[in-house]
Amino acid sequence: MIMEVKRSSKTKTAVSAIIPFVLLAVMIGYVFGPGSELISFGVVIPEISIEKVEFVDSEIIATVRNTGPIAVDIVMADIDDSILPAAIEPDKHLERFESAIVRIPFEWNEGQPYAIGLTIDDGTRFEKQVDVAAPSIQPTVEMITYFAIIGTYVGIIPVMIGLLWFPFISKLSRNKYKFFLALTVGLLLFLGISAAEEAIEISAENLSDVFNGVLLVATVSIVSFLALNYVGEKLKKRAGASKLAGPVAIALMIAIGIGLHNFGEGLAIGAAIVLGEAALGAFLIVGFALHNTTEGFAIAAPMARTKLMIGRLAAMGMIAGVPAIFGAWVGGFVYSPLSAVIFLAIGAGAIFQVIVTIIRWIQNEEGKLSNSSVLAGIAVGMIIMYVTSLLV
Amino acid sequence: MIIVISVVSLGFVGYLVFPAMDITAQEQPEVFVTHSGAVVQTTGDVLDPVYTIQEVEFDPQKYLREFDYGKVSQLEDGTILREFTIIAEDDKIMEIAPGIFYNVWTFNGQVPGPTIRATEGDLVRIHFTNNGSKEHTMHFHGNHPAEMDGIFEIVGSGGGQFTYEFIAGPVGVHPYHCHVMPVEEHIGHGLYGVFIVDPKDARPQADEMVMVLNGFDTDFDGENNLYAANTIPFYYQHHPIQINTNELIRVYVVNMVGLDPINNFHLHGTLYEYYPTGTDIIPSQFTDMTTFSQSERGILEFEYEYTGRYMFHAHLTEFSDKGWSGVFYVKDSSQPNMEVYDYGS
Repeated sequence: MIMEVKRSSKTKTAVSAIIPFVLLAVMIGYVFGPGSELISFGVVIPEISIEKVEFVDSEIIATVRNTGPIAVDIVMADIDDSILPAAIEPDKHLERFESAIVRIPFEWNEGQPYAIGLTIDDGTRFEKQVDVAAPSIQPTVEMITYFAIIGTYVGIIPVMIGLLWFPFISKLSRNKYKFFLALTVGLLLFLGISAAEEAIEISAENLSDVFNGVLLVATVSIVSFLALNYVGEKLKKRAGASKLAGPVAIALMIAIGIGLHNFGEGLAIGAAIVLGEAALGAFLIVGFALHNTTEGFAIAAPMARTKLMIGRLAAMGMIAGVPAIFGAWVGGFVYSPLSAVIFLAIGAGAIFQVIVTIIRWIQNEEGKLSNSSVLAGIAVGMIIMYVTSLLV
Repeated sequence: MIIVISVVSLGFVGYLVFPAMDITAQEQPEVFVTHSGAVVQTTGDVLDPVYTIQEVEFDPQKYLREFDYGKVSQLEDGTILREFTIIAEDDKIMEIAPGIFYNVWTFNGQVPGPTIRATEGDLVRIHFTNNGSKEHTMHFHGNHPAEMDGIFEIVGSGGGQFTYEFIAGPVGVHPYHCHVMPVEEHIGHGLYGVFIVDPKDARPQADEMVMVLNGFDTDFDGENNLYAANTIPFYYQHHPIQINTNELIRVYVVNMVGLDPINNFHLHGTLYEYYPTGTDIIPSQFTDMTTFSQSERGILEFEYEYTGRYMFHAHLTEFSDKGWSGVFYVKDSSQPNMEVYDYGS
């Protein structure tokens, strides 16, 4: 008897959950079907976006996506207004959000600017300006090694150098230590803002409006923040209330957050090299390296009150630094603005999560945040980051 | 529930991040030829402005040598009367280049309109009907009374009528076009054609043809996207104009390109006698390169000594790269039954 009541109530719950969906489906069906004439006002403007242009042997390859409200056919390709025979793969018809590769045979010259134009069936031409033509990079063993070395210079080595501050921090007085912990917050705050800014910038420049760049960054960042928060809590619980677990868990979270951030940096460097901006290369790498030394410090700081565990520290350095290599590979070989934006936004969310964790930790240790050494630490952290970022 | 949502959203993100991997791609790879002669293979579709076989609604090959002499009758005083019926429309969507559909405004359903031809002194009577949704007129270059000028006598939409009547003159090649404001728009969409006035002592026998140099701003950004001789870009490059050696060729060229201040015409392999506006019977130049400003026109006369393929095109290379280029295929006139050459096939 009781069971039956329960079952029927469960069914009722399920039905009541489904009813709104059914009504919604009926309405959508009506709007697209018999009712479509009622609401077919206004002019529909098709839109495509050329997301990526690659220069290979005697060929220019453009990646195009239908970012408009209706399906389109790509019917003509040109380079600098010169109409050329071309191929489109897999086919010329693009549904909403569908993308295709346009191959335009063309003897291009390195270092020269080009405008790539694509015309759709209603005669509208869309253009992508490339400032500097540079041969697109193929994933050969040589290039993979090259990017790995760059990633090591930018990610692993500076982070490891930063970790060498460990003995220095561990000998500090309580107040000074708090200052340096807060300094980490300042460093991370800067990194988080810069990752979000970078993501918004890339989306504004390279993504079509339909992706709602700013909202995409906000959504991905917040989801990444919440997910890492959940993982962090789980980590802490599993580690139990042991005194040692707290700082190590926090350092690990910082390392993960910074790792995601460095992935973004690797992405930026790889993409810059692909986009032919490698002339800046050495300077960019030195700048990032100096900048990233502070990240090693950020990992070392929370662990400074525990015993020196070189193995763990080094592992965290790797967690933070190695993603720069992966970033350089992704940025160099399979760059797409959408993936770049998503990775950067994940990084931003991760970093803000770490900030919250450290602040909570300081609060637990000290009870309040308005301590002058804490405030000074945050401020100095941001200033250091700003100044070193000028080098990039 | 959460798992379902995350799987779906991850799948969607994956779809967006990675360019479509279509497993239903064609099995038979297609092949196309680049401008520099390289052969390229693709598993997808070919976007080719020149070599693809296309079914055009408007046939530039037919238009080239088609002259409308009108319905001919004789008045009591012996004057020849030539009557024409011209209908304007502005709702036609035409494929003006492979895959590109554009709203053309037409005289008798075509761009350019029919080539109206009369002899100096003939009475030309044009029964004009405007079946468009906008106001249109016909404005002829040449001699006529003010009320026949097609400027102030606006012909209303949806069946408005007007009869233009004037004595054909002066001798030469002239444009006619709609003169309703904004003229740029009415000409840009295709309301123009050629009006030839022959001298009473006919010009020497020749293989005669008409070339209207035109352009289309298909995305309305103030720049022409396509250029052509007789509307369809690259058409005569795909279908060369066949002519004979040692035969006089006479081309009536009229520049109707809007938006760009000048256009030009360049001929390969020989030079031509040039008659500006065709108003004189003595050529003023012997050249292979003539510059035309908007609505400027003239007559070209030339002969080829050698057989083969000869290009003609705008020496403004931007225009030729966007479609204003073609080929004369010169055959040996002593061997009339030579095999037809099909370029690009």
